[in-house]
Amino acid sequence: MKRAGMHFPPLRGLAPLLAGLATWQFLSSGPAPNFPPPAAWWRTVAQLASNGQLAPAVMETLWTFALGLALAASFGFVAGLAIGTVRAVRRWSALLLEYFRALPPPVIVPVAVLMLGYAPSMKVFVIVFASVWPVLLNVVSSVSRVGGGLVDMGRSLRLTRGEVLFKLLIPAVVPGLLLGIRVATPLAMVITLLIEMLTAMPGLGGLLIAGQRNFNSAQVFGMLVVVGLLGLAVNLLVNVAEAIVLRRWPPRGLAPE
Amino acid sequence: MNDRGLVQGAGGLAAFLLLWEAVVRSGSATFDYLPAPSAILAALGRLAAGGAFWGEIGHTLLATLLGWAIAVLIGVVAGLALGLSPWLRRYSLASIEALRPLPGVAFAPVGLLAFGFSLQMELAVIVLPTLWPVLVNTMGGISALSPRLGEVARSFRLGRFEATMKVYAPAAAASVLVGLRLSMSLAVVMAVIAEMVGNPQGLGYAVVREQQALRPAEMFGYVFVIGLIGILMNWALMAFARRALPGEFGRPLAMDAGVR
Repeated sequence: MKRAGMHFPPLRGLAPLLAGLATWQFLSSGPAPNFPPPAAWWRTVAQLASNGQLAPAVMETLWTFALGLALAASFGFVAGLAIGTVRAVRRWSALLLEYFRALPPPVIVPVAVLMLGYAPSMKVFVIVFASVWPVLLNVVSSVSRVGGGLVDMGRSLRLTRGEVLFKLLIPAVVPGLLLGIRVATPLAMVITLLIEMLTAMPGLGGLLIAGQRNFNSAQVFGMLVVVGLLGLAVNLLVNVAEAIVLRRWPPRGLAPE
Repeated sequence: MNDRGLVQGAGGLAAFLLLWEAVVRSGSATFDYLPAPSAILAALGRLAAGGAFWGEIGHTLLATLLGWAIAVLIGVVAGLALGLSPWLRRYSLASIEALRPLPGVAFAPVGLLAFGFSLQMELAVIVLPTLWPVLVNTMGGISALSPRLGEVARSFRLGRFEATMKVYAPAAAASVLVGLRLSMSLAVVMAVIAEMVGNPQGLGYAVVREQQALRPAEMFGYVFVIGLIGILMNWALMAFARRALPGEFGRPLAMDAGVR
């Protein structure tokens, strides 16, 4: 099984990016209202950091994101196991789940704002609702692919229901769960930022949109870099966590590809 | 999904809608702004009778398809180049990996600064994140091909261009198609986001507008339409692909729409 992104490619590949930024910096002479040079981005971010706006925003965004993703992963896992093991439930809910998965997640934000108002719990609810589907559907599909055979095997070994669940089913579903979480991670991040942008609630998304509203383009580009670094860090973290979990529960022959 | 599965799935959907209707009618819903499905249907009827609705659908479809087409063009060409040249990969892959996790929403303020409230702004927000799935899958599809294919192309004395068009590109088509699908659903998402945050046109803006006007039935109507567009576009792409590349289909797509 090949996992993309496990190893970061050779660092000399960063050359075009750095060259581009350097060219930008040296070619921009005089004030550029919409495309400020990278040095100006740095100054704005440093300023936001020193006046104490940056750190709370990063914490707020990360906390909301992590809470939402954790809830989505746990809920998706449990519901996916339940739906996947009971064949009738799986069939009857198939179309409904397909629709929820196909629904572009950002449209949930206005719906939740209208129904729940501007509360921190609204943010978390929206993130969970948007990012639960990849986890749930991947768990359902891995249960339904491995489930029947494993349950029969457990029965012929005279295992109790609990043993079948914890010793056979759950370990077999772990790779599917991880795949779901991998897909849900960037989704949860996007939704977190989007809510903050749409509702101007505290967080990195709020700082981004504030920069745009005040025509402070250096802040917009600076925050873009901050958000990019955050995305990169979260990605690496998920990769490391996945590697650790897969070492403990390696994918088996029966697991989905 | 077979016929029986489809009937059961439709039954589940109907049961869900009936339960929703019953909850709202009985007044036991705890939300102030939860419309019944029948009210949403009525709102959709009103919207369809008015003129703006179809224009909004057209606008979102145009932005999505145009942005997707641009992203596919850039992604396939760049992916082919990167896939064929190990040198190019060595000296740019890390840049791509560094830019790829950038959440697409974050481009919206940049697009607004550069283009104001316009279709170009929407296209910028759609193209930048939508590019990656196409590029990465094209590149991966090419670089995973057997070196034998290169030998075949050489023994037929194909030129570089011919070899690319006749040998490499068709062999990588299945992998490219995965990229096309992922980026198609991403393009819908990004178009909606661009309209919600930036350009006040199209379906994305309509949802926000109805929310701010406290018209939940209309809002849910638009939400329903956006979901339907996502499904129909994916279905159309699959129908096209089944014709263009027979034999490559029916495989489940393990990766879900990876939104960034």
